[in-house]
Amino acid sequence: MTENIQTAHQNIYKPAIMKIVARHDEAPGVRTMKLEFQNPAEHELFKQNYRTGMFGLYGVYGEGESTFCVASPETRNEYIEFTFRQSGRVTTALANSDIGDLVTFRGPYGNRFPIENFYGKNLIFVSGGIALPPTRSVIWSCLDQREKFGKVTIVYGARTVADLVYKHELEEWERRDDIDLVLTVDPGGESPDWKHRVGFVPTVLEQAAPAPDNCIAVICGPPIMIKFTLMSLKKLGFDESNVYTTLENRMKCGVGKCGRCNVGSIYVCKEGPVFTAAEVSKMPQADL
Amino acid sequence: MTRILLSDKLDNCVARWRKAGLTVIGPVKKETFSSYATVENAAEFDLGLVMPDRSIKGLFFPQTEPMVHYSIKKQAIETRDFTPPSEKRIIFGARPCDASGLAIDDPLFGWDYKDDFWFQRRNETVIVTIACTKADDFCMCTSLKLAPDSTKGSDILLRPLQNNRGWQVEELTDRGREAFKEIADLLQDGSEPAAAVAVVPEKFNLDACVAWLQNPENFDSTFWKEISMRCIGCASCTFLCPTCHCFDFQDEGDTFTGIRRKNWDSCSFALFTMHTSGHNPRATQSARWRQRIMHKFNYFPGKFNVNSCSGCGRCSRQCPVDMGITETLQAISTLQP
Repeated sequence: MTENIQTAHQNIYKPAIMKIVARHDEAPGVRTMKLEFQNPAEHELFKQNYRTGMFGLYGVYGEGESTFCVASPETRNEYIEFTFRQSGRVTTALANSDIGDLVTFRGPYGNRFPIENFYGKNLIFVSGGIALPPTRSVIWSCLDQREKFGKVTIVYGARTVADLVYKHELEEWERRDDIDLVLTVDPGGESPDWKHRVGFVPTVLEQAAPAPDNCIAVICGPPIMIKFTLMSLKKLGFDESNVYTTLENRMKCGVGKCGRCNVGSIYVCKEGPVFTAAEVSKMPQADL
Repeated sequence: MTRILLSDKLDNCVARWRKAGLTVIGPVKKETFSSYATVENAAEFDLGLVMPDRSIKGLFFPQTEPMVHYSIKKQAIETRDFTPPSEKRIIFGARPCDASGLAIDDPLFGWDYKDDFWFQRRNETVIVTIACTKADDFCMCTSLKLAPDSTKGSDILLRPLQNNRGWQVEELTDRGREAFKEIADLLQDGSEPAAAVAVVPEKFNLDACVAWLQNPENFDSTFWKEISMRCIGCASCTFLCPTCHCFDFQDEGDTFTGIRRKNWDSCSFALFTMHTSGHNPRATQSARWRQRIMHKFNYFPGKFNVNSCSGCGRCSRQCPVDMGITETLQAISTLQP
């Protein structure tokens, strides 16, 4: 489906050293960090290879590495942004790192969203909770060349208002008249001054009812949201081959050796993480 | 006429290779287990074993191995040893199944991204395999379409002589020829016949098993639950397997100095695939055992055109609850595709 753009380092497990140049708290326990390469050659390699959809392994020596998407788009490759929820050993170490501290990055790995195939089409982005970052990378890749696409609709929801990430960008998207932004929170998650929808993402998506013709859907979220969103899109008449998602499996090596991201015969780290819904439906569903 | 290496010259050979700077490794019986280990003289070899308890894998992909030493000082991270240590080695008396196992994993460690730690050792190691003249009830190379005298993955194949005095020498690769140049004058021409190779009866019909595995309907078969009911998830089978290659990275040390290690890991463990969120794609032991069988006989061959099993039988031989690949594939053989 999508071509791989990957280049091996001399030692494939050697990470690049990155400096934290900015950090931003998105939601309780959720933080975005902006990293800059310290070695110009490594940065050059990243610029050559990075395409929206790829992921990396972010680490702190002494703690380990964790896998997250690159949340910044390929159109802004001077730096790397990633968003994570503090929940384990590595993410705690990352959360405890401050501006100016050094962390590590391995990647970019995996395949990409074939954005040039989306030219001239309407786009609908659907995501939930902390799954906005991979979608956001595609959103900005498209917004940075807005004229090449038709209508752009973003449906984003979280459990509560506080759990919405990239709030400053949501405001920016809301102000733009070339984007339809639909925000929602789960019932009970609304605050007194919440002006947007209340309801689960798939329901809200059905209410927004995007037309399936000439439209590409990019969805990302927790497995349960993906499942029901796919059903909703099907109901709306979307063809599975026009629906893209990214699979976020546990990884260690990122380069097709360590064996844990496999879903059926698929190595998510090398053949993914970006798949069409048609490709996902061919995978053994119990192993997803 | 063939070239012959007599057993009584072996100690000389070991001395020659050592003098040439090679680390000499072979099957060695230790107190509680046998494995391939470094020797100083030929007396340390135990060439009578059907096969060492531990496979050859650990010599190329060690159980634990430092990837990097790091030290962090204020605003700088210093690292060293991001390459495997260089060491020229010769393994004498490898079993054909073990040598095949290495060749099976080569494409995995080399697709797109090359794992230097594996390939440097592969390139620097000569593998002298001895054809098997005896087998035990667990051996199953023939069921995997390999043989007790398979040359796959070997640089030299030695065939034991009928009179038990030595081996016929079959040079297979330049790397093997190079190592045997060192001992050329210790070899002799001879016409002694080679002993018959071990008889390893076929234990299951591989093609029938693969056909069953490839049928998507069988992925959800209750067979998986039944066959893996006994599995205690100890991972012995994966650790002893010459082709199982899953690994983990772990950092040892503190915030200032330490080592990042690559350690064996296993698809038998529940934590192997567990997401941070708590979601686990392979949440049950039966799902994990299914993954192991599917990976070896369906997914891996689909990618690399070779089964990820060389038929050594260690998984069954050493399983504490008497289930292994043989038992599983035998059971699959009896099912309708």
